[in-house]
Amino acid sequence: MSGSLFSWDRFFSSVPQILPYLAVTFKIVTAATIAGVLLGILVALVRIYKTPVLYQICTVYISFMRGTPMLVQMFLILYGLPFFLGPIFGSNIGRTWDKIYFAYITFILNQGAFLSSIFYSAIKSVPIGQTESGLSVGLTGFQNFTRIVLPQAVKTALPPFGTDFVGLFQNVSLVSTIGVIDIMGRATSIGSATNHALEAYLFVALIYIIISLFMRYVFAKTDVKLSFGKKVGQ
Amino acid sequence: MSFDVDSFFNSMIQSLIYFPNTLKLIFIHFVVGLILGGIIAFIRFYEVPVLDKIFAAFITVYQGIPVMVAVMIYNLLFLNCADDVFRYFNINLTMASVDLLWVGVFTLSLSSICNISEVIRGALQSVDFGQNEAAYSIGLTKLQTIRRIIIPQIIPVAIPTLTNTTIGLIKNSSVVSVIGIMEVTRSSLIASQVKYTFFEGYLAAAAVYWIFSIFIEFVFGRAEKYSGRYRRAV
Repeated sequence: MSGSLFSWDRFFSSVPQILPYLAVTFKIVTAATIAGVLLGILVALVRIYKTPVLYQICTVYISFMRGTPMLVQMFLILYGLPFFLGPIFGSNIGRTWDKIYFAYITFILNQGAFLSSIFYSAIKSVPIGQTESGLSVGLTGFQNFTRIVLPQAVKTALPPFGTDFVGLFQNVSLVSTIGVIDIMGRATSIGSATNHALEAYLFVALIYIIISLFMRYVFAKTDVKLSFGKKVGQ
Repeated sequence: MSFDVDSFFNSMIQSLIYFPNTLKLIFIHFVVGLILGGIIAFIRFYEVPVLDKIFAAFITVYQGIPVMVAVMIYNLLFLNCADDVFRYFNINLTMASVDLLWVGVFTLSLSSICNISEVIRGALQSVDFGQNEAAYSIGLTKLQTIRRIIIPQIIPVAIPTLTNTTIGLIKNSSVVSVIGIMEVTRSSLIASQVKYTFFEGYLAAAAVYWIFSIFIEFVFGRAEKYSGRYRRAV
C-alpha cells in the first residue's frame, strides 16, 4: 500500500460514491420490516391460539432463527433455494435471480421470527380481564382484538421493536458477503480499486452511527408520546 | 441435485475441529465484556464525575457501528500499523506472527463491552436504591455494599437479558470469519470445496451453532434458577 494511511481528500471523494448505495440498505430494511411484521403477527397468533401442527413448526422455526448466525442463514438461503426450487423451475435460479432477492427472503424470515417473539409477549402482557370485559360489553372477538388488545400491545411492543429495528440496520451490512452491493460492498469495491479502503469504511461507520442515533431518538420520542397517560412506576 | 450426506458429515467434522477457535472467540470476549462492561455499568450507575459522561457517549456511539464494519476497519488498521506500533513499544512481535484471531477477539470484545454494560446497568436500576442506604446505615463501605448487597441481587435479574446478549455474541462471532479467521462457519466449507456442496456445508455450520445456542440457553436457565433461589415471589 502506498502513501499515507488516511487522507481527507479520499474520505470526501468516497462520499458521493457510497451514498447512492444507501438506497439498497433502505430497500432491504423496508421490505424486511413490512413483510416481517405481517409474518411476525401470523406466527405470534399461531403461538397464542396453539394451532396444532403449525405451532410445532413455528417453535422450531423461531428456535432456528434465534440460534444460528445471520451470515449462515443468508448463505443457507443463497445455496438452499436453488437446491430446492431448481427441480421445479427447471433452471438454476442461483444464477438467474438477482442476489438481492435472496437477501430479501433471508431478512424477511429472520425478522418474522424475532418480531413474532416481541408481538407474542406484547399481546400476552395485556391482562385477560381486558378481553373478558370487552366481550361482556358485546364486542366481537375481532373487534375486541383490534380495538382493545392491539392498542395496548403496541405500547409494550414498541421499545423492543425499536432495538430490533436498529439491529436490523446493522445486520443489513452482512449482505455484502453474498455479493449484494450495499454501502459496505461499495466501500469494499472502492478499497480494491484504489488500495485505500480505510476512508471508505470509516465513512460507512459514520453513516451507521448517524442512522442508529437518529433511530434511537425517533423511537425514544415515540415511546414518550405513546406512554402518555400511563402510570409510571408500575 | 441431491443432498450429499457424506459431505454434510465431513463438513460437520471439519467445523467441530475448528470449534475451539469459535469457543475461544466467544469465551474471551464474554469474560472481557462481563468485567469491563460491569465496571463501566457501575461507573455510570454511581455517576462518577467525567468518566460516566465519557463512557455514556462512547457506548451510545459505538453501539451504532455494525460488527462487520468494525472488523473490517480494525483488520485494515492492524495490517497497516501493527509493525509500527510493535516497534514503537519495543515489543518483540511482528504483524505476521500474530494470529488474526486476536483482531476478531478485539472487535468482539469492544462490542460485547457495550452490550453487556447496558444489560448490567438495566439490572442495577432494578435494585431499589434503599438497599444502598440500608447498607450505609449499618456501616458497610461502598465496595462492601457493591460486593455483598448489590451484585448478588443483580445476577438473577441480569441473566435472562444476558442470555439473549450471549446468543447475539455467538452469532456475531461468525461475522469475523470475513477477515479470514478459521472458525465454525469458514471451516465447514473446507469439505464443501471438493464437490461444491456449499448447501450441506452451511447446513452443518448452522447445526453446530444451533445446538450450541440451545446448550447455552439451557446452562443460563439453570444458572438463573440457581442464583435466584433466595428470591421469593412478591
